[in-house]
Amino acid sequence: MKKFLAVFKKEILVFLRNVMLVFILIYAFTFDIYIAGQGIEVKPRNVSIGYVNYSGELLPQKILAHLHAPEFQKPKRFLNEEELKKAIFNKEIMVGIIFDKDFEKNFIRKKEAQLNVIIDSTAAAQAEVSVQYLTQTIYSMIDGKMPVDIKVYKLFNPNSNSKWFMSLSELLSVVTMLSLVLIAVVFVREKEAGTWDIMLLMPVNGALIMFAKVFSQIFIITVGLVMGIGLILFGVFGVPMNGNLLYFFLLTFFFIMAMGGIALVIAAYSNSVLEVSQYTVLVIMPLLFLSGAWTPIHSMAPWLQKLSIISPVKYYIEGAQSIFFRGTEFIDLLPYFAGEIIIGAVLFYLGYRRMGKLF
Amino acid sequence: MKLGVVKAYLKKEFIDLWRSKMIVMVYLIPMMVVILFGYGIRMEVTHSRTVIIDRDNTKMSQEIIRAFSTTKYFDTKVLNITDNEALRLIKQNKADLFIIIPHNFEKNLMHSRNAEIAVYIDGSFPLRATTLEGYVQGVFLNQLEKNGVKVPFKINQRNFFNESMRDENGIIPGLIGLTMLIAPAIIAALLIVKEKEAGTIFNFYSSPVSKIEFLIAKLTPPFILYSFNTFILFLIAVYIFKVPFKGSFLLYFLASEIYIVISIGIGLLVSIITSRQVTALVLTVLITVIPGFLYSGILMPISSMTGESYIEAHMFPVMYYNHLLYDAFLIAQGFNSPKNVEYFFILIFYAAALLFIGSLLLKKELK
Repeated sequence: MKKFLAVFKKEILVFLRNVMLVFILIYAFTFDIYIAGQGIEVKPRNVSIGYVNYSGELLPQKILAHLHAPEFQKPKRFLNEEELKKAIFNKEIMVGIIFDKDFEKNFIRKKEAQLNVIIDSTAAAQAEVSVQYLTQTIYSMIDGKMPVDIKVYKLFNPNSNSKWFMSLSELLSVVTMLSLVLIAVVFVREKEAGTWDIMLLMPVNGALIMFAKVFSQIFIITVGLVMGIGLILFGVFGVPMNGNLLYFFLLTFFFIMAMGGIALVIAAYSNSVLEVSQYTVLVIMPLLFLSGAWTPIHSMAPWLQKLSIISPVKYYIEGAQSIFFRGTEFIDLLPYFAGEIIIGAVLFYLGYRRMGKLF
Repeated sequence: MKLGVVKAYLKKEFIDLWRSKMIVMVYLIPMMVVILFGYGIRMEVTHSRTVIIDRDNTKMSQEIIRAFSTTKYFDTKVLNITDNEALRLIKQNKADLFIIIPHNFEKNLMHSRNAEIAVYIDGSFPLRATTLEGYVQGVFLNQLEKNGVKVPFKINQRNFFNESMRDENGIIPGLIGLTMLIAPAIIAALLIVKEKEAGTIFNFYSSPVSKIEFLIAKLTPPFILYSFNTFILFLIAVYIFKVPFKGSFLLYFLASEIYIVISIGIGLLVSIITSRQVTALVLTVLITVIPGFLYSGILMPISSMTGESYIEAHMFPVMYYNHLLYDAFLIAQGFNSPKNVEYFFILIFYAAALLFIGSLLLKKELK
């Protein structure tokens, strides 16, 4: 235990001496998450809208009055179709509405009118949702109720506050990135400097050194994590906690262990920090983006979904979202823990076989 | 500036890149990112796991179930469970939404009493939840129209730029923009910081190599290598992902080259303030990935931004390049549009400014 603590303390000291790295860690766990939560709004909001009116004033104005914040900006009037199209081509306007000459007439006479909508559909999903908004708004102003009342309840996040989701996703991404980079570097730096062999020559068990090194980094990341959750997630964004925060820290612990396993394997096969950086980029991008952190896993290509079974990040993100938002009970979280532990154990063994012994 | 020195230095850099296997990374990482993400990132929501609890069991409710199971958006399962069991399925992340068709639904509808349907959506993923909400309502509206409910407005929708509404058409160009921002910056930063960490930077400090010569030697290799990437990524987009290319290739190529210079400039600035490779790596990723995603227009159109984010979007070069990129792929106005020309010159300005500041701050001596 004493030896363990000595290595542990040494690693913490090495970390603290690199002032720039400490600064980056603080930045990553605070401002970075703040920016992501504040800035990224994934659902269409504030959609810019323009219109041309060749019809009477009454009905179009009534429709336009219903297109308002937060979904839409104030509709902007254009004199003719050409002007409107030009604005769409310059990406100043996303949705354009053209009221035909007989729009109002048709509506009054035949009770049926056609509304022309042109839309910049570069981002297909966004365009689709915007049109849905438009349709819903227009239907909602029809007098006389719909025969069926469709009541939609959005569980856990009734107002679809994407700040909650974004800040949590970014926090999890930061944990993923830092755990991989920091742990891999902790080992390779020694390898590069040649002190790793000396460490192994000492009368200390190789596995013990490795665990102490990994634990030191887990400690550092956990400190950052507490900061990020306390200050930004709960403090600034008011993210709900429907489950138990303790489970989340426990899951994080096993997750960083699993990432440590990957880092160890990377460290085992590279000889310099430069190589580590290349491998980590290579590993981290697919891990992060194909694990459901940013886009839903069930919409991905089927072969990618199958592949994600071996990704520790997938279990972590699903688990964390379940704990924070869905408030899942412990018994239903067990699969996530099992996933992390199995992956971690296998990778640790592989890394240890290559790194842990001199001969 | 002595040409011989630059030539020798350049040769050394290329050999170095080759030996350290970095050259593989230069081509592998951008390709991998575009291919993997191109298959992996989907903004549209499909195959959401839907549980329908049918407590009515009439012709009408069967029809509704059929309507849901025939679209690609829902993978439906009809289960006979209680509300709480359904909620548990969502908590276990085994279902994304459940729809309850209550008892007497058809009867109420026939007698035009208030017929109600409850839809519960897992809201932990806000975008998915809002999208699903829209889809669900769309299916029901369709169903009503089929059953003779008159709709006073018909919406005649025309799509611009991405007529077939393919997700890939928007995402792949965005990914090209993202990789072109991140990858050159990382390599440029590491090439300089590597020398700092190994101590070989003293060769530069103490030898008569001038600052300009050093910069040319360090920054030309990533520039040349990534220039080839503009072609590779173009081919991947057009042939693997079948993204239409409607605009001018010249605009695409020139804008990309300038963007690579901008990215390298960012790498240069990072290399000045850091002295360790890890720090340089983490810092570059941090300052490029977030704005790269944020202001690419994939997640949110620039025209929808307000306040600070609108100003920030205009401060980072990302937005300008992406505008040109989308123009080249989908819009095809080329240099005829004054806006494109304006953005093009803004990019040139950024590139020049970054290189200028970088070379000013680079010190040829010990601090």
